[in-house]
Amino acid sequence: MDASLLAALGFLDCIVFQRLSPNEFEVLYKAGNWLDELLPETVGSKIFSFEHNSAYLEDFLIDAENLWLVNKNGRIDSGMWSEQLSNQVIRLEASAVVADKKNYLIVNKLNAKYKQKQETLQIARESLLTADKISAQHDYLHSRLEELLSETERAFPANQPVTQALAQTDLGVAIFDTDLLLLNSNPALRSIFDDTNIKTNLPADKLLLELFRNQYPECERIFSTASSWIGEIFWLNPPLQGKWLKLSIQPIKNDAQEVQNWLFSASDVTQVKYLLKRNEKLTHFDALTNLPNRQYFWQNLEKKIQQNRPFYLLYLDIKQFKRINEIHGHLIGDEVIRELSIRLNNLVNADDMIAKIGGTEFAVILELKHSHAQISSMDQDYAVTFAEKLIGTSCLPFYLSSGLKCEVGLNVGVAAFPKDSSSAEDLMKYADLAVYAAKKKSISSISFYSKELVDASRKRIEMEDALRNALQNQEFELYLQPILNLSNGQIIKAEALIRWHHPDGHMVSPDEFIPLSEQTGLIIPIGKWVIKEACAILKRLTSQGEPIKLSINLSPRQVGDRQLFEFISDTLIESQVNPQQLEIELTEGVLIDNYDRVHFLLAEVRKLGISISIDDFGTGYSSLAYLQKLPIDQLKIDRSFVNEINENSQDSDGAIILAVIAMAHNLKLEVIAEGVETELQRDFLKQHNCNIAQGYLFSRPLPYDEFCELLAAQKAKK
Amino acid sequence: MIQKKICLLGATGVGKTSLVKQYVEGIFSEKYLTSIGVKIDKKQVETENQTVQLMIWDIEGIDRYCGFQAKYLRGASAFIIVTDHTRSQSLVEGLDILKMVKEVADIPGVLAVNKVDLPASWHWSETELAEIKQGFVQFFNTSAKTGDGVEPMFTHIAKVLTA
Repeated sequence: MDASLLAALGFLDCIVFQRLSPNEFEVLYKAGNWLDELLPETVGSKIFSFEHNSAYLEDFLIDAENLWLVNKNGRIDSGMWSEQLSNQVIRLEASAVVADKKNYLIVNKLNAKYKQKQETLQIARESLLTADKISAQHDYLHSRLEELLSETERAFPANQPVTQALAQTDLGVAIFDTDLLLLNSNPALRSIFDDTNIKTNLPADKLLLELFRNQYPECERIFSTASSWIGEIFWLNPPLQGKWLKLSIQPIKNDAQEVQNWLFSASDVTQVKYLLKRNEKLTHFDALTNLPNRQYFWQNLEKKIQQNRPFYLLYLDIKQFKRINEIHGHLIGDEVIRELSIRLNNLVNADDMIAKIGGTEFAVILELKHSHAQISSMDQDYAVTFAEKLIGTSCLPFYLSSGLKCEVGLNVGVAAFPKDSSSAEDLMKYADLAVYAAKKKSISSISFYSKELVDASRKRIEMEDALRNALQNQEFELYLQPILNLSNGQIIKAEALIRWHHPDGHMVSPDEFIPLSEQTGLIIPIGKWVIKEACAILKRLTSQGEPIKLSINLSPRQVGDRQLFEFISDTLIESQVNPQQLEIELTEGVLIDNYDRVHFLLAEVRKLGISISIDDFGTGYSSLAYLQKLPIDQLKIDRSFVNEINENSQDSDGAIILAVIAMAHNLKLEVIAEGVETELQRDFLKQHNCNIAQGYLFSRPLPYDEFCELLAAQKAKK
Repeated sequence: MIQKKICLLGATGVGKTSLVKQYVEGIFSEKYLTSIGVKIDKKQVETENQTVQLMIWDIEGIDRYCGFQAKYLRGASAFIIVTDHTRSQSLVEGLDILKMVKEVADIPGVLAVNKVDLPASWHWSETELAEIKQGFVQFFNTSAKTGDGVEPMFTHIAKVLTA
């Protein structure tokens, strides 16, 4: 078939040039007459040079030239562009090609392809814009209400601003108490369910709760763990077509981090769904990743169960994704999700199914390669290996088109059919519970649904309740660990460390309850208690003639609390303590995660006269650039490095400590060694100019009275 | 006569193509038609010093279907980030784009707050907007429909580039 026939059939609406030398081209083939108008320099001569008639094409020649210079077989494309000719707009795409050491430039006219792509994207983008507007309005109104509810000190029903806001908003809102009994709802919510064609037996608030309960097996976990949730529910209201609602659920907590209300807000997003339906692909597939969506996955899960062959359901949640969005923005976030979905999809076998079932969540149905009725330990090994592969691929860095590098992780929760349950709802619920357990670990983890998991979850809820009571019942105590000047052995300050006397008589380790406090937000009231108590201790010590310095630890969540600075400053004034007696310790992780916020906070507390220490230094990858820019006074070398100092390995393992000491001195910072337990360690530190230390060699953390006795004994020795 | 390349960037549906069409042809259409790829329009502007030909690169909206392409900024003298004040998210995305532009090009940027013929329905406070505007050499309230602010914006850019 010759070129003229192909052209007549419309297959070859293109121009082919051969590059003879830089900026010298020969026309090998041209279809139609658009070339003459686009590049008049080609008229009348087969060999020509570009004369700036197409800015886009000539810009592409820069990239093309790089390919041609290398002269290895290959091809690059320019991407589509449009050119306005005298009586038409043409859509073009150019390709630079090297074939058999010859260089070609091909320009394709793609008007039909452009139109097709435009039609698809038009629908997708219209739905995106509509969804965006509804979503933005929904999120804004939801957060305003949440703010109003959190600010209030009055009981909800009598709260005037909230009641007014509810009456005026277009967002359907229901506010429930902790038993999910309605406290208030607004006209907008009633109008969502107000349909003359249907008699609903339930009031709007109850209907909303029912729809959520029936459609989301995760619901129990969300309520029991006081988590927030955003998603979509469907109200089937025959004979009409049904309504899709965007639903946000948010626990409203008081200062003690106890849930006092549940805020439900709903918007009608049926229009968005209608737009999506116009494109069948978008109905079943996630627009961002092209993977099957939640609805499609659910249908397949039910079909799978009907086949009655064992399989695993894996629930995947991207770890620390919020940080990517916060640091790099949503466009980069979308790019990471898209790239991750490709990586995950590459690992899934043809018989398995992967879907994107939420904003940062994927699910996989993992087929087992046998037809036995039961799941064996070998099957479990197979699921673990598969999950590990998923985690492995997600932990590899993402190099994005803008040149950025990002890293995420993956938590995997697993439930088995039929071992754990034979219902789709339960399987999803159990896999969700398992992934929630996996999330607790700092690294990407796999967690299988089990009875132990449920027990652990229950234990955690019990502990959370006990923690809440601990504040009210004054079960916390601050212990003080002396920090000494090694050159004279004198106590120069102390670190305040929290202890919890559980009502059953045993002392709960901070390692157990601090992470839980951090996760639940209880760290905010507990942290405030620590600040208050530390100031009270400082006041007592000063009045006893011991104006010693106390250091307190701040956690990541505390640093994120916008009222923290005000609280510290007010507490110092109220307790009449000199701010120079207070020291704040932050870990490196806090610095990295929250740099701008931390910088601002530290600058402000430093202005008051409070000193600042970086805790666990050497474990958190903070860079010198951070340290130089932040207003800090001391570095505390992590105990793990101090532990390494022993008789046999002084020279090599002490190298890290020596480097930290040298670096700190160069930055004009003090160095404190933590966890000193042996005389050898103490001597090593002294010998290398690290003159401040704490550890069991000198004293364990002590209750206030014992600490005072130690101070008195020190005074008596002088 | 000198030529200057200006890139129009922004989220989908903010009105980039409409702004160019209003500026170059004086035409506005209510119908939203999504753009694919790039279209380059030219317009001569007389400044106090000289005549400058603006090469205006109207670049496809940046969203989940079309990522940011740093290569389009090659040789650009300035850029405009267009936002739509009826849609909060368009400014969030505009700021994301600004960040990406700053990583690859050190050229002046202008913020266009478009669709001002419609009532504003985004939720940015004046303080927030004032802070955001600091990232740009200038900002303009524009309406591709009425033409408000459109010519002044391009003229201002031409002046900055020929000063």
